[in-house]
Amino acid sequence: MAKEKSMAAIPEFLSKAELLKQGAEARVYRARFLGRPTIVKERFRKQYRHPLLDEKLTHRRTVQEVRSVLRCRRAGISVPVVYFVDYTSHSIFLEEIVGSSTVRDHIASSPPSARCEGLEPLAERVGQVLARMHDEDVIHGDLTTSNMLLRCGPEDGVSELFLIDFGLSYISALPEDKGVDLYVLEKAFLSTHPHTEALFQRLLKSYAAASKKSSAVIKKLEEVRLRGRKRSMVG
Amino acid sequence: MHLTHELELFPGYKVTQMLFKEVKNAAELRQCAVEGKINGALINPTMLVNPFQVLVAANKAVNSQNNGKMKTRSLYSEIIFNLSPTNNISEAFKRFGCSDGDDSVLVVLIHNEDESQLLADLTARVSGRQVPVEEVSSLTDHAKVKKLYKVTQEEEKSGTLLDAVVCRMAAKDVM
Repeated sequence: MAKEKSMAAIPEFLSKAELLKQGAEARVYRARFLGRPTIVKERFRKQYRHPLLDEKLTHRRTVQEVRSVLRCRRAGISVPVVYFVDYTSHSIFLEEIVGSSTVRDHIASSPPSARCEGLEPLAERVGQVLARMHDEDVIHGDLTTSNMLLRCGPEDGVSELFLIDFGLSYISALPEDKGVDLYVLEKAFLSTHPHTEALFQRLLKSYAAASKKSSAVIKKLEEVRLRGRKRSMVG
Repeated sequence: MHLTHELELFPGYKVTQMLFKEVKNAAELRQCAVEGKINGALINPTMLVNPFQVLVAANKAVNSQNNGKMKTRSLYSEIIFNLSPTNNISEAFKRFGCSDGDDSVLVVLIHNEDESQLLADLTARVSGRQVPVEEVSSLTDHAKVKKLYKVTQEEEKSGTLLDAVVCRMAAKDVM
């Protein structure tokens, strides 16, 4: 095979795959890979950036994403399996969680009247999973209910809760970073799902009970709420 | 019996796996492989959980070869290296490559045409009984695999052993 042709293996493959969404950072595709339903996340080149910087940044983000997913997995948090990473095209091939729906859709589709009660167990589980994640010092970076998937289990089985999209994630032990992570979720949660304050409180309660280091984190969350994030109040 | 999969990323590249039990000539096979006489990778199946694991390793190997970034000297040694959770090449061979005393072996071939001749040639070399590749999961030494890949207890509860293994293989370069 000619070198130029073989160098473009992944772009070639992706050009025939189903594009699910295009964000500022990456394109997400759906395809079959090694016989399995797969999601491919391709961080494309940003022409507006200096090429050397672009390469370094993109590479670093890809690496962070893969590390965070593996870290979560080791802690027993349900995340997609990483099948393959190509550092030349900055593409991550991950397991597609088939037969799932987002927590966002789940909340949105439940009747408003029964909303808070029926969804309490879900809120508790989310709190527990996030506590686990933060105890592993993984900061998700983009916590929203669209980045949480529920896959229906067998007939009467419990559904499995997955966290996805670790594109902005990083490792940090700081309560401040964890507090901000929760703050991002709170803002996203309350704006996407109106009148669910009680539900989110449930989530936080569950988080506090499940995490060993929660008090410092909740304290920081309260601080961030007051001042807004990325405001160092210096200057 | 054997399992062939055409790599989606590299059309034309087919990966065929064959599993043999009651192998009597493991030492001879290994020698042939070292001398480059066998056009395939000889893997110790007790370290494998599922044929998918081999596909992941093979795909990565072909990709590395394509990018000129292989860590070992041949495509077949690269497959064996990719199975290992560490970056130590000789350790990978010791653990995942077939050893002289083995009584089972999984052979991986990468080819692009009709494989019947290749398979026949290989089957003739192996002094053993060919079985369906899917049977590899009956040969898995779960304890050894868990220990080598350092699979945590929590991980085992929330996912399969195959998930844990594949994830580590995929993330090896950055952990």
